Amino acid sequence: MKNKILNIKNLSKSYGAFKVTDEIAIDLNFNEIHALIGPNGAGKSTLIKQIVGSVKHDIGSIILDQEDITDLTDIERAKIGISRTFQVSSIIPKFSALENIILSLLNKSNNTFQLFKSLKQNRELHLKAKKILRDIDLDSKSDEVASELSHGDRRKLEVGLALAMDPKVFLFDEPMAGLDEIGTKMMIDLFKKIKANSPILLIEHDMEAVFALADRVSVIVYGKIVATGTVKEIKSNKLVRDVYLGYEI
Amino acid sequence: MISEHFFNKWIWSLLLIIPICGLIFDEPYYITLATKVIILGIAGVGLNLALGYCGLISFGHAAFFGVGGYVTAIMSYHAINEEILFNWPFDIFGSSEMLIIWPFAIFISSFFSLIIGLLSLRTSGVYFIMITLAFAQMLYFFSISWPNYGGEDGLSIYMRNSLPMLNTMNPLTFYLISLSWLLTSIYISYKLINSPFGMAFQAVKQNEERVKSVGIETFKVKLLVFVVSGAITGLAGSLYTDLNRFVSPSVLDWQTSGEIMVFVILGGIARLYGPLVGAAFFIILEQTLGAYTENWQFWLGLILILEILYARTGIMGLFNKKKTI
Repeated sequence: MKNKILNIKNLSKSYGAFKVTDEIAIDLNFNEIHALIGPNGAGKSTLIKQIVGSVKHDIGSIILDQEDITDLTDIERAKIGISRTFQVSSIIPKFSALENIILSLLNKSNNTFQLFKSLKQNRELHLKAKKILRDIDLDSKSDEVASELSHGDRRKLEVGLALAMDPKVFLFDEPMAGLDEIGTKMMIDLFKKIKANSPILLIEHDMEAVFALADRVSVIVYGKIVATGTVKEIKSNKLVRDVYLGYEI
Repeated sequence: MISEHFFNKWIWSLLLIIPICGLIFDEPYYITLATKVIILGIAGVGLNLALGYCGLISFGHAAFFGVGGYVTAIMSYHAINEEILFNWPFDIFGSSEMLIIWPFAIFISSFFSLIIGLLSLRTSGVYFIMITLAFAQMLYFFSISWPNYGGEDGLSIYMRNSLPMLNTMNPLTFYLISLSWLLTSIYISYKLINSPFGMAFQAVKQNEERVKSVGIETFKVKLLVFVVSGAITGLAGSLYTDLNRFVSPSVLDWQTSGEIMVFVILGGIARLYGPLVGAAFFIILEQTLGAYTENWQFWLGLILILEILYARTGIMGLFNKKKTI
């Protein structure tokens, strides 16, 4: 228990008769990347939404770093250390890449309600934001308006927003979708580096990336976890191969 | 294309030239008219913070404009009649001193915007529009049914409230007082939108869910913007009462909310000087077209339609295509 930073028990959510997540139990250890894979519509993104608190679950509990956060709001959960990316890029479209990152730094630095202090003169925030942009390989585009960035760059920016929060855990929802080979490699290297400080629950369809990164993999089908194990165990699991991976691996 | 910075300087030059021309040609009416533009511009600057920068489409800012106006008139009325305003918890008298009235008008309109904001900001979109409208209309009908302060007929204060060492009845003096408040409200807006808080509320307008996900309490952000916005609009209401030496329920009417919104849209949403330019354009239309037909708003409607179809950045946007949030 002590080595678990995130522990989800019995989490269920139904829309009418349709169970989107069905008694999900999943955990995340310190220094770990735990990948969650499964076919489209399996309930992966809904699970993320329940963990961050934007979708209310019906039953179950969520423990973050020994603290029960089940009844906290989405903002409270973000404040105490849950950081996420969205399946479809969600950025502040008319802000520059740098401004997006600065926004994400505001809460942690207790700057949000500074009413009359010039943001431009806050050197510390700018330096931190620029460092994050370097980490995600976007420093050359720091002044570009976010909505005009390429799809891949927007995915990187999303990850940058999550990094800026310096959270306890990351929940990444398909962060590599639409990235080219170089972008994916950059992301893999970055995730390997950041997991030491904040472990990652990773939803991803790029199986090469998942297998390169994940310490553990869970497979979700029709809202239920059907298997959990190391990459090797999952690759050799017949049920998983039947329902999701296919036979090509 | 000229820079917005240059255009803003041009606006300030014009604001200084107008009263001088009024004096040279002995036309105090134009000074009073320019004062009206400035005061309505202040109301627009207030609404622009909420609507333009934070995306809160308030259709109830007449409430704050009217509250500011009524506070001014009521305090002045009690001072003139030497009546006690409140006798609990201790005797509070009215005042005809602007330096006392302004803080009261700002405080009470802020209080109203806090209460209205606390309830209405739980909604969004069309529900927010309707709930803010409903609050303003409640105050409108309350003022009509309040005989102590004139009811439907409104309340006259005969003399403008005073400011030490100044003759506020002089049109130029009152113009300069209003101008200094305009400068202050624009400066406050400028400081706010360039602060960390400003970044937060401008982000809320664009993608509230994302702002929440980075741990920013968007409800508090929106509420604070709404209160500041209401306070500035309330101050404008106070000045408007002094300008006219009269207040009536019409300042609380939904039409006033609509007009303040029109100033913002005409001038340019989320442009610092947009509401002032919009108010000036509105008054010019009223004065010119209104001389030919009492239904001059027909042409205003046509202009608004054309603007929304072809020039959404408003008048300010015609001079500078800089993107706004």
